[in-house]
Amino acid sequence: MATKQFLLNPSRTGKQGTQINIGKDNDEYESIVNTLTMHPDDMASLGVSQGDSVVVRTEYGEATFNCESGNTPEGMLFVPYGPPTCRLMGAVTDGTGMPMSKGWLVEVEPVDNELK
Amino acid sequence: MGGKVTCTLGEVKNRADFIVYWGGNPAECHPRHFTKYALIPKGKFVPRGRKDRTMVLVDIRETKSARASDIFLQIKPGKDFEVLTILRALVKNQPVDRTQVSDTGLTMDQLQDMVDRMKRAKFGVFFFGMGLSMTRGKHMNSAAVLTLAAELNAYTKFVAMPMRGHGNVTGADVVMRWQTGYPFGINFSRGYPRFNPGEFSTIDLLVRGDADAALILGADPGATMPQPCIDHLARIPTIVLDPKVTHTSRLAKVHITTAATGISAPGTAYRMDEVPLPLRPALQTSYPTDEQIIRRIYDAVASKPDWMIHSGKMTSAQI
Repeated sequence: MATKQFLLNPSRTGKQGTQINIGKDNDEYESIVNTLTMHPDDMASLGVSQGDSVVVRTEYGEATFNCESGNTPEGMLFVPYGPPTCRLMGAVTDGTGMPMSKGWLVEVEPVDNELK
Repeated sequence: MGGKVTCTLGEVKNRADFIVYWGGNPAECHPRHFTKYALIPKGKFVPRGRKDRTMVLVDIRETKSARASDIFLQIKPGKDFEVLTILRALVKNQPVDRTQVSDTGLTMDQLQDMVDRMKRAKFGVFFFGMGLSMTRGKHMNSAAVLTLAAELNAYTKFVAMPMRGHGNVTGADVVMRWQTGYPFGINFSRGYPRFNPGEFSTIDLLVRGDADAALILGADPGATMPQPCIDHLARIPTIVLDPKVTHTSRLAKVHITTAATGISAPGTAYRMDEVPLPLRPALQTSYPTDEQIIRRIYDAVASKPDWMIHSGKMTSAQI
């Protein structure tokens, strides 16, 4: 499977904010925080379709997301903050108290969706 | 560098005719902000509401907020500090290298137009979000936008305000500030407050394994912090006070279900402009409030013979 580098920007979304107040202990929340938005051309170059799974790796960890095409610049990925992004986030704060929460260089590899 | 030239949201509503959102997406993350405080309402000195205001959005992608903007400036990721510094130079009519401008994803014409509009404004405001404060540069990016706002006051009235997220995060900062002089990352272990981000801040304490117990109040670090912090919270006795089951409550040794503040418990919440608002509960509940539980824990601990309060190092007013 081809691996490609991207810039990942975890962010907040309206749906995620609403769901946090309803509760995180359900499938709806899990679906929101496990969905990755990418440019349609990037999806084509990775050979993945809407709803397919990809593994995202940083130097700190990895997590699996479902893909969704959206209005994002090529080479950039967006995903709502949640437990999967916790696994990708570095713990170094550079003396600020806050870890780098956006702009991570990540490797993305499609999961063999035939085997799912 | 230092300080924040700011105002209340009431002043924005009544006066602001030039509004810049930088690295934020209020259309999704602050759904009532445009209509209630900033963009749409008619104000005393902006009687036609939206028609009297110009809105600029600065971001790395075209979010839903871009549809509400008059001007959308799409910059390259990680170039916020550079753009802000170029704007500061242009405001003071200093020469700017065109190569540096092209690295930002914007043109000199776009930046000069922005500067002209900022100077022409009667009351300008920068609202900045996590896209500015959480990317490369972090607090230095925030300092740059605060400095730009301060320097623009040589020409017109300009203010800056962070777009705070989640319920009452501003309240946590404000209360810690007026009680100790510091907003976060405070260590009370010597009986007086010491402040050092990177040393006493939560993430650093957990990653290093310094904390041997944790009390989590109104937060869900199990779904927001880096994995090494979550792993340490699972190792130590963690107590969670939360109305709901969360990722943190699942890894905690103790989860005390509390009343939801503002819904079934009274209290005070600080709006993101640091204005305190009383909360009147609409519903009744049998669950205790966060305050009741904390006071009961405090009383139980205070009754121990070797508690610091008896040595005079801490007063009951500090809780």
